[in-house]
Parts: sequence; C-alpha cells; structure tokens
Amino acid sequence: MNGPNSSFFLRHEFLIRRLHSLSGLIPVGAYMVVHLLVNSTLINGAGAFQTNVHKIHALGKFLLPVEWAFIFLPIIFHAVVGVWIIRSGQSNHSQYRFTANWRYTLQRWTGVIAIVFIFTHVFHLHGWFHAQWWLENVAQPLGMAQFRPYNAASTLAQGMQNYGWPPFYLVGILACVYHFANGLWTMGITWGLWVSPAGQRRATLACAVVGLLLFGVGLTALVATQVTDPEEARGVEDRMYESEDGDR
Amino acid sequence: MSAPTPANPSSPAHPTKVNVRVLRQDGPGQPAYWERHQVDYEENMNVISVLQKIAAQAQTVDGKKVAPVAWECGCLEEVCGSCTMVINGRVRQSCSALVDSLLAENATEIELRPMEKYPVIRDLVVDRSRLFHALKRLQAWVPVDTYGHLGPGPRINRPQQEEMYPLSKCMSCGCCMDACPQYQKIELQRRPGESDEQYQRRKEAAYEQGFVGAAPISQVVLFNSHPTGKSIADGRLDALTETGGIQVCGNAQNCVAVCPKDIPLTKSIARAGRAATLHSIKRFLEK
Repeated sequence: MNGPNSSFFLRHEFLIRRLHSLSGLIPVGAYMVVHLLVNSTLINGAGAFQTNVHKIHALGKFLLPVEWAFIFLPIIFHAVVGVWIIRSGQSNHSQYRFTANWRYTLQRWTGVIAIVFIFTHVFHLHGWFHAQWWLENVAQPLGMAQFRPYNAASTLAQGMQNYGWPPFYLVGILACVYHFANGLWTMGITWGLWVSPAGQRRATLACAVVGLLLFGVGLTALVATQVTDPEEARGVEDRMYESEDGDR
Repeated sequence: MSAPTPANPSSPAHPTKVNVRVLRQDGPGQPAYWERHQVDYEENMNVISVLQKIAAQAQTVDGKKVAPVAWECGCLEEVCGSCTMVINGRVRQSCSALVDSLLAENATEIELRPMEKYPVIRDLVVDRSRLFHALKRLQAWVPVDTYGHLGPGPRINRPQQEEMYPLSKCMSCGCCMDACPQYQKIELQRRPGESDEQYQRRKEAAYEQGFVGAAPISQVVLFNSHPTGKSIADGRLDALTETGGIQVCGNAQNCVAVCPKDIPLTKSIARAGRAATLHSIKRFLEK
C-alpha cells in the first residue's frame, strides 16, 4: 500500500525505474552508438565526415525537435533519475569485494562522470542553445560552441586542439561506454532477458565485447580529431561547397 | 621411521588464546562501542562457543567487569538464521563460523558486529521484523485457509521440484539484505507515551516505503510457481511493483554471493523482474 505521504517518485517508482532502464538503451544508448560511429568516419577524411554530417542536417527544421525529443530530454531524464537512484543506494564495495559489487559502484561513478562529460561536451561543441545573444555573449567568449555543421571536420579538429580536451574526451568516452555496456547487462537482468547465473555470465561476455568494440569506435573518432589538419579540412569543405553550388 | 609431519601452512600452530573485538550497544538508540575480549582456544570452536565463553567470563581483556554480551541463537546447525551477525566484516551465521577458518582469514582477532541493516536491540541482537513484514506484504505463503481435509494437492513434477527446492531452503536470516547496497536501514525511535500498537503501526508504515529485499522476492518466485500458491500470484506481483518493490534492485549481486544456503537469488530476481514487467503492462491495459 502506498501511503499518501510518499513522494511522487516513490509512488511511481516501478514505472520511473523501468523507464530509466529502457531510456538507457532507447534512445540514449542507441544514439551514442550512432554518434560514435558517425564521428569515427572522420578517420576517412574531412569529406567523408562532412557527407555524414550533411545527412543529419538534412533534417532541417526538424533537427531541433528531433534533438530535444530523442536526445536531450531522454539524457536529462536518465541523468536526473540516475542521480536519484545513486542517492537511494549506499555502495559497500570496500566491505564486500565481489566483482559484481564493483561493477555496481563503477556504474554509479561512470554515470556521474558521464553527466559532467556530456554537459561539458555539448557546451564545448554545440553550445547548449543556438540563440544568437547566447552564442555571442556567453558560449563563444568561453571558447565553447566550436562546431559548425557546414565546416564539420575543420571546426571539430580546431576545437579539439587544446591540450586539455583529448584526455577529457578519453575519460568521458570510457565512462560512457562502460556505463552503456554494463547497463546493457543489468538491463537484461532487470527485464528478465538473461535469467540463470550461466546465462548472466555469457551476457557479461557479450556486453564486454560490445563495450570493447564501441570503445574502439570512440577511440577512432578521438584519434581522428587529432590527426585531422584544420586548414586542409577547410580546403576540402570549401571545394565540396563550391561543387555543390556548381551543381545547382 | 616416519618423517616429521610438515607444518600445514593453512592451519598454523593453534594459539592458546583467541582475541575477540565486539561492537556493543546497550539498547536501541544508544551509542555503539568496541570492547575487547579474550577466550581460551579450544579445538573446533565456533563463534557461538566463543560467545558462550565471553558471557561466562563477563569481563574484558583488561579485566574490567562488564555485562555479558547479548546474542541470539536457535538451531546451532545453520537452518534458523537467528545467530546471523557480521563476522570479520562479512554477514553470516555464528554457528557455522568456525574459529579455525576465521583465524586463517585474520590471525590476530575475530571481529563481531551486529547486522548493519536492522536496528540493534542489544549488542549482537537485532530486530528483523522488517524482513517478516516484507514476507507478509508479498503474501509469501500458500493460501489454504481451512482446517478441513482437502485431499491431496496438485502434483508438482520433478523438474519443477528441482527449481523450487533451492528457493525453499531460505531461512529468512537476512544476509542477502544486510550485504545489499540498495537495502537501507530503517530505524525508528519510540516516542514518549506511544503505545505498543501506535509504535508498531508507525514501524510498519516506514517498512512499506523501504526495499523488500532479495529473500522475499525469491519467495514470490517460489510461491508463484507453486500450483496452489499461484492462485494469488497477481496480488504478489501487485505488491512487488509498489514502493520498495523489485525495481529498487541495483544488480550488485551481493545477495547471491553471501547467501549461506546458495539460493540462486539473482535468478529469482530476473524471473520476478520479467513477471513484474509483464504484470504491470497487463494491469495498464486491463485497468
């Protein structure tokens, strides 16, 4: 029986936590996979990357609502509920040193790291808001909002040239990928997909493989930002823009 | 002539004394404090026999006279769960915790603490009424409400029996909950002038908000797979999806790691999780 005094969260705890679990895979996790895959295409050169970014931006006026509905709001929901979940538990890995208990604690730490990373990362490249006054008076003076979709590779490579960003992104990608891979495993138990201890061990292996592959993809994207020369990329983008103009 | 027996590295020469550190508490809400005791070593001692000696001596290692350390025990064969406490940092039964193996873990002393997630009544005795409240909340029984003879019950086939038997070994000791990072202590203080009934009601209201824990979830799986117990399966799943239900589980899996009866608790949690999701969808569509 749920008392009238319990909080909204407690009264709808089952639904909220199931939605939290689901949102980690769809859309947040699925988006991250696509995002890392698209970004890793930068290793094929500025042209390949620009073509992919064009495909995303072909959404035009739909891009903003799609971003908010399927990316920003789900991430914010997952983060807010996640913080509530962290506060409801009390890690005891120093007393009970079992692997799964370490994974429980790590899932919480990487969740917090991921929140800090994602919010900073979106500020760094996207700027959070695209209102003119915000970009001119706040984001750009702080060195944020670096990315331009029509000069994708060059602005990205330029934005990532500071010495602090690559290690920051490395830690962020690691945390996000661990959180996703381990979250996939806990999700399988939560929803009763892998049930027996043997099944859960096999699932651990499968999730570890998914995590490692995804980390490889993320690392490729990060390396690509470091080996791309902004000037050269700019030239490629300009030529693409001109040839597109010529086609019309 | 036989060669001298080599010293077994896993069992060093027996000590003559055993040092014990006990976390004591004089009553509910009182401050906890450590106390050191020393007892004579005997072969094949368990923690219960250590505690018996400590109670008989009723004095600390420094010779200070103290009230005997309080603890609970029942069966002395690891089937009742009442002597559960935190021994050398790990929750377990004191009857089956053998001194020799504890000294192999830590040769200098044995550390005894009350369970962490239940309110202390005195010293090593805790109030586990929340555990039994959870079993009531989840209707963890077979509903046969008559004294009349009902004839033989439905047959349970062999594979089903083999699924159910391990779950039926649960003795409600509370180890799985004590080690669970998602299970938090709920401790209330009695208010001045509060009657037994008022205090009890207030406690139960607080328990309703807390996590039910692994053992009661596993009991839901057991009774929902029982041919007669099944008749109230929906009610159990309703209770399992309310505040403090199965959703609180964080998959740390300490429960299965510390369970003295090797109950496949995480398997039960996965099965109950699947059933709870399907049940809540059914409720949403049929309400």
